[in-house]
Amino acid sequence: MAYQRKQNKGDSPKLDMTPMIDVVFQLLIFFVVTLKQEDILAKLSAARPAPNTDEEVKNKDPELINVIVAPQGFILNGRPMRLPELDRGIERFSGYSKSAMVIIKCTADSPHAFLVQVLDVCNKHGMTNLSIFSM
Amino acid sequence: MTPMIDVVFQLIIFFVVTLKMTTDVNPDIVLEDGKNGVTLTQDNMPPSTLEIELDRRGRISIHNATMSPSMLTTIIKNRINRHGNEFPVLIRADRRTQHEKVRKVMDICTGAGIWKLSFLAIQEHKGEKKE
Repeated sequence: MAYQRKQNKGDSPKLDMTPMIDVVFQLLIFFVVTLKQEDILAKLSAARPAPNTDEEVKNKDPELINVIVAPQGFILNGRPMRLPELDRGIERFSGYSKSAMVIIKCTADSPHAFLVQVLDVCNKHGMTNLSIFSM
Repeated sequence: MTPMIDVVFQLIIFFVVTLKMTTDVNPDIVLEDGKNGVTLTQDNMPPSTLEIELDRRGRISIHNATMSPSMLTTIIKNRINRHGNEFPVLIRADRRTQHEKVRKVMDICTGAGIWKLSFLAIQEHKGEKKE
């Protein structure tokens, strides 16, 4: 013991850095790979002019299209049907007027998917006046 | 060696600080397909957009943080105080959710004075859209 202590006196102890550097590089690579660059442009808020709604209000049509969304399917103006028929039905109505009021009535136990399907069909044929009711 | 280790540690600290570990969207929500809606872009999604998530059992969450309906009401009211009631509200509801659950969220929004709601759907697994 005494001999050893005498030997180490004077020169500084050498620390092996290699494993630590290996680990640190591994960590570095992990964080570089998992970093998700946040989009700065998406966070900027800019004031945009409000859309002019006067024209839409002027040629508003009093027509009503009634769609009931049930758990089994759709009922368009009293006629039960599935999605392809509803698509054709809405297409026919959109031929007369795109601004006709579409009233979508959803039953409480209908899946949300059906409501999205009706909205999608209305969007496809350019119906602009949609309102959703719950029953 | 010392300067290199210094630099590497600096980089590590930078990445630890900037890393976002948790996902901010509830991953269990399956959206319905919608081919014809408006595609979400940076233009129609300002930073004030509120996205409400609703899973198939009707649990409400925002950025994957579950909350009670009364909490959602408080959040919406606070936001109206800050931004007015003109900010867009997106409802990310699961396709299997019953409508009565969606209705509760819609009731909370309309009760707070927000009438323009959008539902999120997915466009052939390419991107999300609203209608």
